[in-house]
Amino acid sequence: MPNGGGSNGMGKPRMGTVRSLALLLGLAAVITWAAPARVGQETPDAFLPADGAVPGWLRDGELQRYAGEELYAYIDGGAEIYQEYGFRRVVVQDYKNAAEKSVSLEIFEMETPAAAYGIFTFKRSGKGTSVPLGSGAELEDYYLNFWKGRFLVTLTGFDEKAGTIDGILAVGGAVDAKIRDRAEVPELASALPRKGLRPGSIKYLKGPLGLNNIYPFYTARGLDFAAAVKGDYENGSMLIVMDYGTAQVRAKAWAELGAYLEGSDRFKRSGASVGGVALFQDGRSRFAAFASSGSRLLVGISPDPSASIAIVGQSR
Amino acid sequence: MIRTIGRRDFFKTSAGAGLTLAMGRVLSAVGRPAKAQAAFVAVGIGDDYGQAAVKAVELLGGIKPFVPKGAKVALLPNVQSRHPGSFTKPEILRAVIRLCKKAGAVEVNCLSWQTAKQWEDTGLKAVIDAEGAGLKIFDKDESLFKPVLVPGGIALKEARVLAALDDHDVLINMPITKDHAGNKFTGSMKNLMGLNSPGSNRAFHRPNWKTDPGDVAHLDQSIVDLNKAVRPALNIVDATEFITTNGPFGPGELIKPRKVVAGTDRVAVDAYCASLWGLKPEDIIQIKRGAEQGLGRIGQGKAGVREARI
Repeated sequence: MPNGGGSNGMGKPRMGTVRSLALLLGLAAVITWAAPARVGQETPDAFLPADGAVPGWLRDGELQRYAGEELYAYIDGGAEIYQEYGFRRVVVQDYKNAAEKSVSLEIFEMETPAAAYGIFTFKRSGKGTSVPLGSGAELEDYYLNFWKGRFLVTLTGFDEKAGTIDGILAVGGAVDAKIRDRAEVPELASALPRKGLRPGSIKYLKGPLGLNNIYPFYTARGLDFAAAVKGDYENGSMLIVMDYGTAQVRAKAWAELGAYLEGSDRFKRSGASVGGVALFQDGRSRFAAFASSGSRLLVGISPDPSASIAIVGQSR
Repeated sequence: MIRTIGRRDFFKTSAGAGLTLAMGRVLSAVGRPAKAQAAFVAVGIGDDYGQAAVKAVELLGGIKPFVPKGAKVALLPNVQSRHPGSFTKPEILRAVIRLCKKAGAVEVNCLSWQTAKQWEDTGLKAVIDAEGAGLKIFDKDESLFKPVLVPGGIALKEARVLAALDDHDVLINMPITKDHAGNKFTGSMKNLMGLNSPGSNRAFHRPNWKTDPGDVAHLDQSIVDLNKAVRPALNIVDATEFITTNGPFGPGELIKPRKVVAGTDRVAVDAYCASLWGLKPEDIIQIKRGAEQGLGRIGQGKAGVREARI
């Protein structure tokens, strides 16, 4: 099964990161207290490091809380993607050290662990450094995302300097130590063939907003899948697997999507269907091969038509 | 200077009186095309982002054709988030305030319904204070927004624009270009949502947006329609350092083209900005429809762009 970003082929850690990781592991060893609520019932407040919990870092400013539709007030114009995955609440707390470095901590509680994994895969770049936090974590130049249970934790620094990265990892480690929820990567992620897969590229999707961010289907109908997963491959191909729950629902969705593609000015049919694979060329001269397998619709995308068909074939 | 304005405060002002007495004015002043209609996109490039902004405006022929002597100027930077690459750089705002004042503007104000904290966290308030400009923050009270009919509106028949805009002679739109999870791109056209009321902006999404495949197109069409009602004299876009993922809020992947992009053609400006991170302008519904519906042009190629390094 593809991993959740916890140990993949991403970039080599920098020297500063190595030092920070050592700090993180040391910190995790000394943070041992347990939250009083039962596993599965905690809210994000329970995971906030108190003053003194992270040596050198103190809370700065007021705690912010947003639940449900209130997210629009916090992430004006950008809340929809969280809502698409299934959002419950978020807490936001800044931390500051004596050198006036700031770190912003956001703990998002999602509706399900799959939603937390999904928004984690959506937010990570796949180009950062894997770090041992939660069920999967990626450290980028100035920020960190990790997921654990139904929680997504995002820490943002305001520069890329070592002291800031140390703070991100230290505060993140303290939060990780407090979250006791655990969850596995959704089974659908295993639908991506392993050979040539770039693990950091995996995106787990719950709706058309996320999908349109990785591949523009514009106003196509038939994208009301239950869940989907996308992966990139070493040969430049991309594979999207959309699961509709049943073959009947998938067949109806494909009928709608196929009709849209035939009539769209952004897609052009490329020959007749062969072996149950329909091939289209998109507005960027890439080829998109569509095929069905039970409840799933498979889409292989590549500049090379044979590669797009091949990647779909591997997944059937 | 920061001023938070509620309904009661606003209706004591001349702008409020003007709204009640002269509804027919409908943004005509800020909607008036600038005298200088440069057909090209001007780009200043360099590590000094303030100077890059000055260079871009110079390429267009300077600020004077856009800001007449004695004008009251409204500026619209983006303060959506404090994360790196998600808000207009303070040094660009500083440069534009200075340009306006040098041209003889009698008043330069940033208008906003965002919070004072956002202006403080982004460092933009400090610049406004230091440069002697004004920051007018309005409550999200619908009575502070003026209904504006959208000529040729398809998704949006009526916008609700900050009424205080009518008290200014010139609007300079100052977005940062960046990723947007909803419709993949934000630039000069989408930034005008910062003048439209939050209540009206919510209608840019359909109630069943989670399952409605037409929602993204509806959002983009609403943005295009809003731009039919409000026409900035000039757009100065921060494309120096911006996020290409996890927008519009971030944090996300940063790229650093070190460019400030200026122009009067919002479609052309946005098409240029989209191309900076490999997007095809025709793939962005708001840009494509903006061109189709007469807001500007895509695809002028190199002839439509003038770049200069500082």
